[in-house]
Parts: sequence; C-alpha cells; structure tokens
Amino acid sequence: MLNSLLSQYTRSLILVAVLLLIVILEVLEVRAAIYPGLLPFFEWARSSSWLGLIGTTYGSIYATVEAVHLLSMAVIGGTVLATDLRLLGVVFRDLPSETLTKGTHKVFSAALISAIATGIFCAAGVGDKVYYMEVFWIKMLALVAGSLFVFLVKQPLLNSMPHDEINPWTIRLLAVTSLLIWFTVAATGRWIGFS
Amino acid sequence: MNQFIFDIAVMLDNTQWSTLLHESYYMYNWVESTHVLTLVLCLGMLFLIDLRMLGYAFPGVPASSIADRLNMPMLIGFIVMFITGILLFYAVPVRTSQSVWFRFKMVLLVAAAVNAFMFHKRMNESVSTWDNDAKAPSAVRMGAILSLTFWSIIVIFGRFIAYDWFDCEYTDAGSLSQLLSGCINGQAQF
Amino acid sequence: MDNEKKMTDKEITAIGAGVAILGSLLFYWFGQFISTIELLELAYGSLNFFNNPLTF
Repeated sequence: MLNSLLSQYTRSLILVAVLLLIVILEVLEVRAAIYPGLLPFFEWARSSSWLGLIGTTYGSIYATVEAVHLLSMAVIGGTVLATDLRLLGVVFRDLPSETLTKGTHKVFSAALISAIATGIFCAAGVGDKVYYMEVFWIKMLALVAGSLFVFLVKQPLLNSMPHDEINPWTIRLLAVTSLLIWFTVAATGRWIGFS
Repeated sequence: MNQFIFDIAVMLDNTQWSTLLHESYYMYNWVESTHVLTLVLCLGMLFLIDLRMLGYAFPGVPASSIADRLNMPMLIGFIVMFITGILLFYAVPVRTSQSVWFRFKMVLLVAAAVNAFMFHKRMNESVSTWDNDAKAPSAVRMGAILSLTFWSIIVIFGRFIAYDWFDCEYTDAGSLSQLLSGCINGQAQF
Repeated sequence: MDNEKKMTDKEITAIGAGVAILGSLLFYWFGQFISTIELLELAYGSLNFFNNPLTF
C-alpha cells in the first residue's frame, strides 16, 4: 500500500517534502544564521575574483555584458509570453500548443543559460552592493523557484500528455504562475540598479 | 544643427513636467523600468521571428504564421517603448541630446526601421514559396541577421547612455567625441 | 467518464507548486504595493488610499 503510494505519487510527495523543508528552515531561522557567512564570498567576488576584477576595471565590458543580459532577458520574456499566452488561449490559437511549447522551450533554455552566465558577471562586479539588497535576494529566490518550476514541474506535465486532456484550470494556473514569476525576476533585476 | 538641438533640449528642460519627472520619487524609475521590461514584448517577439527565419526556432511551424501572430504584440511593445523612451528623453533632455551613444542609437533605429520595411516587403512577395521550409531564403535570412544585429547594438548603446565616459564635461575640446556629441555646455542642465 | 478520471502525479505536483509559488508572489507584490503607498504618503503626505496613522 505504502509502496504503491510512493511510486505512484513520487513527485507530489517530493513537493510536499520540499515545502515542509522550507517551512522548517524558516522556523529555525536558518536564513539569518547563514547570511553573515556569505559576505566574504561576495566581497571576494567583487574584489578578488577574475569576474569582479574585469567588471570593475573595464566599464565598457561591464556595460556590454549588462546589455547582453538584457537581450537574453528579452528572449526569455518573448518565449515565456508566447508560450503562456498560448496556454491561456490569447495568441496562436490556430497552432497546437504542444508544438509551440516544445519549440519555445529550447530557445528559452538557451537564453536562460546566457542570462545566468552574464548575470553572474554583473553581480560579481557589484558583489559588495547586491549582498545588502533585499531585492537581489528576492530575485535569486524567484530565479531558483522559476527554474525548478519550469524544468521539473511545468515541462514534464506539458510533455506527458496532450494538453486538452489536462484540466484547463491547471493549465491556466501554470501559465499565470510562470508569467508572474519571470516578471518578478525581470522587475526585481531592474530595481537592483536603482538602489 | 547642434545649436538647434541644444535650444530645443533647453526649452524642454525648462518645462515644469520635465523637472517633475526627473525629480519624482519613483516615477522616473517606473518609466525606465517599463521601457526596459517592454524589451521582452518588443524584442522578444522580434527575435523569435528572426530566429524562425534563420531556422533556429520552430522549424516545423510555417514562417508566416509565426510572423503574423507575433507582429501585433511586437508592435504594442514597440509603441510602449517609443512613448516611454520619449518620456526618458524629456526628463533629461540636455545631457541625452549630447550623448554620443544616444545619437548613434537614433541612427541605428532609422536603419532598423528601413531594414524592417524591406524585410516585410521581401517576405510578403515570396513567402508562399518557402513558408514550410525550416530556413528562409538567403535574402530574408540576411534581413533577419541585420535586424538581430541592429537591435542588439541598439540595446547595448541604450545601456551605454547611462554611463558618462564620453560626457561633454569629461572629454577634451575639439576631440572626435565632442564633435560627434555636438557638445554645447552639455552638463550645465539635465 | 471525465469526472472520474484520476489526476496524474505530475498534475497534482503542478497544482501544488503553482499555488505555492503564485501565492508567495502575490503576497510579495501586495506587500510591495502597500509599502510603496506608505512611503509616498510619508514623502508627500497626499496619498490616502489607506488610513495610515503616520500621516496627519
């Protein structure tokens, strides 16, 4: 009985475990305990790592990488909008959403890798600044949650069966969550520059 | 010509709304964030179309159906970027009008517009013959590559406007960058 | 029958993760909205969307 439950609902049980783990870590205030220990790493990234040294010495390289980061964001956002608005039935209604989802996912993955790579460079150049910014950590949290959500939850479900066999409300929930989470990643990123 | 641009910029700078926008608590940041985040709508869609023409995205979907469906969100994005872009210029007119990056960016925008016009013309003429091919014919591919290049440089130069490397007050009188920026007392006002 | 079809493991995970993430995001943005309003009230004293004791 237990065995069949475990094998039949592995993913759901892992999700429950992860959510529980987050709650426990919060209650035990693990975040506050780890936070001071991260400072040396960020200071090292800013003043001693190669990335930080290049970023702080050559302003033009830093600005160009920032621009590439923005371009990657544009492609990520474009694929997210095309996919999720199709899932919500706003655009591309004549194209099967299975085809579109598969097509955009490849482009999305490539752009996400490019955005993360350029993002690490940008963050390294201002490591001692972003460390103290709440909005930076919100962005990191949203980025991790968004990546796990897309690669481990959304794509597996959408690839596992024809979309019209999935409850339409589940699809809508997936689309809205994905739209909002990537919007959050982009908007908090823009706000890092203002503070 | 530079004097004329300068006079207009000073006139804009002297209006009350320009100061309000520049010095508001959040409004300038919100306008700028909207400008940057709308990249997603405008360039995201444009790049998907271009990547389709080059055969990198959705090779199995007819090119015209990608182009037709994504055109509308792209245009909406472009209009929003255009309006917020004008507002950003309006908030800081004197410095921006004498930024060499801003000037390059405007030239590239015109080039991108010409390219877009030709791209559409070529595409509408011949799309029926290659609609289902993974790659578009070389003339259309060329247009797609040009569009990707122009817009990438536009984004890079747009980012550069925020930096002061070639601001008039930091460059030598008579230098090339002063000539290109058309420096007339660029830092005296915003 | 459609109604009797059991939901798959992947779909349950999707609903659970979706609700959790969407909920936290909405909570975050609502909090941002409130704190922005309060800050603008403090700065300008003119916005009164909520009855904030800090403004007179």
